[in-house]
Amino acid sequence: MSWQAVARKEFRDAIRSRWLHGSTLFFVLFLGGAAALFFGALLGPDSRQVSNLFGFFASLGVFSFSFPGLLALVLGFVALSTSYGSITEERESGSIKLLLSLPNSRLDAVIGKLLGRSGVVVAALLVGFFATFVVLLATGTRLELGSFVPQVALTALLGVAFVSVGLSISALADSNREATLATMGLYLVFAILWGSISEGIPKLLNYAAEQLGAGGVAELTRVKLGVFLKYLNPLKTYETLAAQLYYGPAQARLVSTTFGERAVLAPVLEGSPPFYFSGWFLFVILLAWIVIPAVVGYWAFERADL
Amino acid sequence: MTAIELDGVTKRFEDVTAVSDLSLTVEEGEVFGFLGPNGAGKSTTINVLLDFVRPTEGSVTVLGHDAREESVAVRERTGVLPEGFGVYDRLTGRAHVEFAIDSKEVDADPDDVLERVGLADAADRKAGGYSKGMRQRLALAMALVGDPDLLVLDEPSSGLDPAGAKEMREIVLSEAERGTTVFFSSHILEQVEAVCDRVGILRGGELVAVDSIEGLREATDADATLRVSVGDPVADEVLAEIRDLAGVRSVDRDGDDALRVACDSDAKTAVVTELEERGITVTDFTTEEASLEDLFLAYTEDDSDVAVDDSDGAENDRSEAAESERSDAADAEEAGGTDDPTEAGTADEEDGGDDADSEASAEDTEVAR
Repeated sequence: MSWQAVARKEFRDAIRSRWLHGSTLFFVLFLGGAAALFFGALLGPDSRQVSNLFGFFASLGVFSFSFPGLLALVLGFVALSTSYGSITEERESGSIKLLLSLPNSRLDAVIGKLLGRSGVVVAALLVGFFATFVVLLATGTRLELGSFVPQVALTALLGVAFVSVGLSISALADSNREATLATMGLYLVFAILWGSISEGIPKLLNYAAEQLGAGGVAELTRVKLGVFLKYLNPLKTYETLAAQLYYGPAQARLVSTTFGERAVLAPVLEGSPPFYFSGWFLFVILLAWIVIPAVVGYWAFERADL
Repeated sequence: MTAIELDGVTKRFEDVTAVSDLSLTVEEGEVFGFLGPNGAGKSTTINVLLDFVRPTEGSVTVLGHDAREESVAVRERTGVLPEGFGVYDRLTGRAHVEFAIDSKEVDADPDDVLERVGLADAADRKAGGYSKGMRQRLALAMALVGDPDLLVLDEPSSGLDPAGAKEMREIVLSEAERGTTVFFSSHILEQVEAVCDRVGILRGGELVAVDSIEGLREATDADATLRVSVGDPVADEVLAEIRDLAGVRSVDRDGDDALRVACDSDAKTAVVTELEERGITVTDFTTEEASLEDLFLAYTEDDSDVAVDDSDGAENDRSEAAESERSDAADAEEAGGTDDPTEAGTADEEDGGDDADSEASAEDTEVAR
């Protein structure tokens, strides 16, 4: 089992990169800075509790904003950037020949890279959270550790998921340039387009059903499908799981819905929500975003000539 | 036992067949040289051994393991110096060797290995700042970790200066003495000649000859080339006289102050004596064991398409050979200065000579086949 050797090499290599130093500094300033701003200046002593920042969700219907959502966007970008070149760059520099002339299997290489690069992203993230923690203590903020600690863990998992996505792009791409473009495109999909796509698909199905004379799709079904598709996006999976830590599942499922969706879905969630809206199911989706891209990446890499 | 066995290996890439129906056996403990011009398929063959690329057809067994299915087992006992590799720019030399030690799961001291390849002083520097030669040594150090049973070296001396190439040769020889099988590719023939038990010559993806160096030399009837530096220009009649000497095949001017004589080894003294008797001062002479190179060209170049680039490459090899063979070290410095420009200037003339040789030997090849 030499994936440990690969993981150690990846970590030692990446930990020296300027990109990592930059992103660590960024997390410190972003997380610690936001905490200092909120709990040091904006909020009065009475409302100094973690949920007022890390559990900050505001939905204006068409437009929703949340601090976890913002953190997810940034983290997704950092994690993808850390991993999308992990194989293509080694191909282009030729160092992959050193890696694979040693007794490392292709599987060792993929697992080692996933863990090594994830370690780097998680380390940068944890430094940021540590800075936040210091700020929280210094400002006498109520810690709500029961919610905050699991949120840190969830955030780390989201980072690993995006490392895995980047890694699979790197395994599938023929060149670093191709990997860069694919990563940019995919990030665009996750960050911006996914919402429109997941709202559009039920509408399309409805239209198709009407044209075929099947009488259209019930509104509740359409909304359920649309919201379910929305939560397949790891950014949204994370966001709603983070919300659940502070506000419980029923409210959390509504954080990224529109007013229309909310009106239809709220009664369902208050009653007995379907399993695919349960926290555990969404957690499995988040884990799937770690496992499936890595498996696809391995599958492609295993078949490729160097 | 057999260290490497290729059986009917063909590798086709999208639009080109890199290796075609290649069968080859290398015995354990053997030092095998794999020769061929660029693009002949040497690296592809080596990449197949290491499972970097997968053969389109044929089977490959290395150290008793299937190269495709049991590649990790193969690489556990194989040290590799790949061709066209890159280093991890941000990692130090020592970190590279530690990575090799970790991957091979052996207990070794990185500093010992680095010492052995002459990189001990640079162990703590980032490999990104290493020269080409240092990178080559670093990869060799990684290959040597864990005392492999098989060393696969793809163009091991590329980027090394003559001293480095000599060290590389010594390391290869000492590994061979330890019983390690060595499989290496090169286009620098002197490297191969100095260390190899057997040589395989690859051309256009096909193995055109496998034999010992002596065997190949006999098969192509190639001779030594004598390069004589003279004080004064040599008149045509003198050239003719020399051409008439027993054992001399051809004489050409190599600039105004040198001659190039293709002759039997026994005839060398006679040539020099003849020149001096004619009142021509011989300032220096070198013997080039050009035989192997001619032989190489004979096997690897078609009569019709002698590429200019290839010939230039051959010229360089030749002058390197000359330098290493020079008996008088004091002369080497002086002659070294004038050597290269002259050689470059007469490259065209030389091409003609090589051509002739190629043709002659190519016929022999046909017969041999």
